[in-house]
Amino acid sequence: MSQTKDKSGLSVSERLGLVSFRNQGRTDSKPHIVVETSICNSICTHKCTTRVCPAKCYTLDDEGLVHFQYEDCIECGTCMYACDQGAVSWNYPHPEEGKGVNWTLG
Amino acid sequence: MEEKFDAIIVGGGIAGLSAAMTLARGNAKFLLIERGAFCGAKNVSGGVLWGSDLAKLVPEYWNEEGGFERFVNHRRLTFMDDQSAFSVDFKSTHFNEAPYSGVTVLRAIFDEWLAGKVQQAIEASAHPDESFLATDILVEEVLLENGRVVGIRAGEERFYADCVILAEGVNNLLTRQIGLEKDYVPVDYMAIGIKEVLKLDASKLEDRFQLRGRSGLTNEFVGYCSDGIEGGGFLYTNRDSISLGLVLGLKDLKNSGKTPYDVLNTFKSHPVVADMIQGSVAVEYSAHAVSTGDIRSLPSELFGDGVLIAGEAAHLLLNAGKAIQGMDFALRSGILAAETILEAKKATDYSTAMLKNYRKALENSYVLKDMRSFQDAVHLLHQPEMFGPIPNLICDFGRQFFTISGEPTPKASQMMHAAVKRNASYWDLVKLGIKGARAL
Repeated sequence: MSQTKDKSGLSVSERLGLVSFRNQGRTDSKPHIVVETSICNSICTHKCTTRVCPAKCYTLDDEGLVHFQYEDCIECGTCMYACDQGAVSWNYPHPEEGKGVNWTLG
Repeated sequence: MEEKFDAIIVGGGIAGLSAAMTLARGNAKFLLIERGAFCGAKNVSGGVLWGSDLAKLVPEYWNEEGGFERFVNHRRLTFMDDQSAFSVDFKSTHFNEAPYSGVTVLRAIFDEWLAGKVQQAIEASAHPDESFLATDILVEEVLLENGRVVGIRAGEERFYADCVILAEGVNNLLTRQIGLEKDYVPVDYMAIGIKEVLKLDASKLEDRFQLRGRSGLTNEFVGYCSDGIEGGGFLYTNRDSISLGLVLGLKDLKNSGKTPYDVLNTFKSHPVVADMIQGSVAVEYSAHAVSTGDIRSLPSELFGDGVLIAGEAAHLLLNAGKAIQGMDFALRSGILAAETILEAKKATDYSTAMLKNYRKALENSYVLKDMRSFQDAVHLLHQPEMFGPIPNLICDFGRQFFTISGEPTPKASQMMHAAVKRNASYWDLVKLGIKGARAL
């Protein structure tokens, strides 16, 4: 479903492969965004973060439940505005302890 | 670094660096804090830096090898349906003279270059060892004393200054902390920018887009590119790459059920765009939230007790159809914020009454004047007709007009009538026409 229809288009994972992230090797990194998915999976009717996030950090499983991972986050801020349920606590990643982007072109 | 600075600047983007440059030249002692590994590491834009203010920061920047990508002497606005593209195209040698009226930039490169220039200005100032550009530090809190901003906290470290400039960008968490922006900013006045940088040999790029030396093309798109969603596309030429992307209204995107990356693929697959980017290779993918330029989205105030808000942290942005102006507003607001602080320092008066001069200076500048006078254009561009019916109608007319079929050719007015009937109604056009006449 998530695959793009057009052959010339890149998939999100191919695109994320072009992004350089900070602290890549770090396994104990601190999340900079905390999502209360219990809110997404109970009262939220639109679950829009699963569509508007350009890095697909929000995904839907087969049962229609929202899952979140911060590792691919490119710090755009979109989910902070899109979520109107109060489920997203958005912050900037810590330079040493967090992940986050390190643009080479920008 | 226990002593007090004249100013602390949060954010090493264009607003922050412009303020820093102005403060360095004014011999103020300041600390600029950037959370990225270098200035520019966290910054994304379309991006064209419009206007000629850059020359105020870096005189004769055009003689520099580094910094900007290309100067803009060729503008194009393209209306597209699924098969066609109808463009308004303007190229002129008037735009060949420095200071240019617009330059394309890649922010990780441009901002780092500008930071280097600021560092040189610090070294040439009266306090070469007392002003700093500090990177890799995250400001977590604005420090307040009796309601007045007195400094910032980064981890366990606290830094104090007579005035703080928040140039933290559109995701303005610190501006929210001090109550100048609401804690929750809804989608209504927000958009998402999404972009790919596509690498192409400089010689190929120059041949393809008819560029000479460092001249460049900017092309905006409206219609099919945004797949029915409020917004539009852009293509900007860099030195040896193309910036190709979209700005999509977040409210409309949210309601559409579509994803921004699928819409980007739709845009890229348009035959006219595919021809333009043929043979190029994507080398970076990026996205960022961006203000829509609605003046109602401005923070409740652009200054506070001991604090000034500059650049996109203050939602200073305008897209009135001609150009997306954000970086030039950031640049000017950074300069004006710093000038306000230099005045305050001279008068040793950092009172709110003094800092209010920043607001006045912005009101008197083209930044807030243009934001105010082109609000109708901003709203016109948000009419749903602009993203489907109008571009379709224009392309429909174009197809008829440029077709030589061997049949008797109708007059252009008949073609237009047919195109309107197929794609919109006269009533819609009249309504839009009235709004448009008022707006521009």
